[in-house]
Amino acid sequence: MHAQSDPIVGIQGLHKWFGALHVLNAIDLTVASGTRVVVCGPSGSGKSTLIRCINGLESYQEGALRLAGTTLGLDARGTAAARRQTGMVFQSFNLFPHLTVLSNCTLALRRVAGKSRSEAEDIAMAHLERVRIPEKARSYPGQLSGGQQQRVAIARALCLNPRIMLFDEPTSALDPEMIKEVLDVMVALARDGMTMVCVTHEMGFAREVADQVGFMDGGSILDRAPARAFFRTSGHPRSPLSLETILKH
Amino acid sequence: MGFDLAFALSCAPIILGAVGTTLFVAFVSCVGAASIGFLFEMVRRMCGVAGAMSGFAIDFIRSTPVLIWLYFLYFVLPFYGIRLGSMTVGVMGLSLYYSGYLAEVFKAGIDAIPKGQPEAARALSLGRRDTVFYVIAPQMMRNIAAPLGNYFVSILKATPYLAVLAVPEMLGRAFDIASETYRYAEPLVVAGLIFLALALVISYGVKRLERRLLAGGTR
Repeated sequence: MHAQSDPIVGIQGLHKWFGALHVLNAIDLTVASGTRVVVCGPSGSGKSTLIRCINGLESYQEGALRLAGTTLGLDARGTAAARRQTGMVFQSFNLFPHLTVLSNCTLALRRVAGKSRSEAEDIAMAHLERVRIPEKARSYPGQLSGGQQQRVAIARALCLNPRIMLFDEPTSALDPEMIKEVLDVMVALARDGMTMVCVTHEMGFAREVADQVGFMDGGSILDRAPARAFFRTSGHPRSPLSLETILKH
Repeated sequence: MGFDLAFALSCAPIILGAVGTTLFVAFVSCVGAASIGFLFEMVRRMCGVAGAMSGFAIDFIRSTPVLIWLYFLYFVLPFYGIRLGSMTVGVMGLSLYYSGYLAEVFKAGIDAIPKGQPEAARALSLGRRDTVFYVIAPQMMRNIAAPLGNYFVSILKATPYLAVLAVPEMLGRAFDIASETYRYAEPLVVAGLIFLALALVISYGVKRLERRLLAGGTR
């Protein structure tokens, strides 16, 4: 079918301004189903804004962004329907602090997917097991470590069975000793064939799972390459330097 | 004229007989004020004309004396064919008046919620209403349990205003006794002490509620 061969994300000539600030400048990006794209770059380069545009959390002013066959920003209903195909993981976890881990995972299943409580809990438990934290199902987010919270956030995003997962600096708010447990979960997810767009500075992760790596600065993707080539040589004068710093660090 | 304890004690059952009315009026007004206030705040958060109008209404209500509201509803509305009982007017007046203040309390409670929370709800495709009901309102309640409780006590203490409309609440009862006996100290002290006791009980309840809402830590 045509929809199958259509890339899940297709971005052409995307521009976005925050007032006078040109945060996204002529972005082109295609994400094929089953592939992993890692976007890196200095802070303020627009990479978070880009990933937030992909599921319609941010609007854009020029260009076109197609997600799961729908051009975002044309009508609210279409955008909402396309967003349902995505799962998002934030830098600051954004778990609901007043709900247990299990309820965090079941809320959208019950209210959006219309599952019964027991159905929703079965699905949620399966995903909590996938991120290796089923024993915390009855805990509240405030009782968990950062790494545990982020793994719950990944499980929560997986519950609606998304076709693509978006990660916005998922390990940047974590203490170093907790980064690995989250990256392990993400690597496992990638191995299972999940389509992923990941904004991260974790170059080891990029090298392990990425099909494409993009380097952003000043609102543009300055350099992009298949992962293997990206780490061997990098075309843009700014990016190898940054990467070297990032890799050493 | 000294304070006659025996007379005070004889006043107590009469005034206590009105405690039901006072509590009923206070309770309905709290529910009314909270509902209208929450609605005001939700509308104020919308952009456009509706939001601006709601913001104006909140400021307008807060900037006018409660007695004017009560007298207006009671004496002016009948000229337009709207005839309401004194109890209804009293509850409406208190609800409207305090809704303006509670809207401000709700605003503070919502402003304190990190913006990642509604964002996470959006990313999970939760609808507007579900987001308010399951994500925003419960966290708002955790933030505002204490000030909300204070306003509930304020509403309780504002019920004596309804004496001007001849609602048979506690202060009205105390005045009835005073006008029959020409003794003011005892009925007023008794009414005051009953209000004090009720306020203390509510404050204690609010503190317990706050502790329950915060179960599981903040974030």
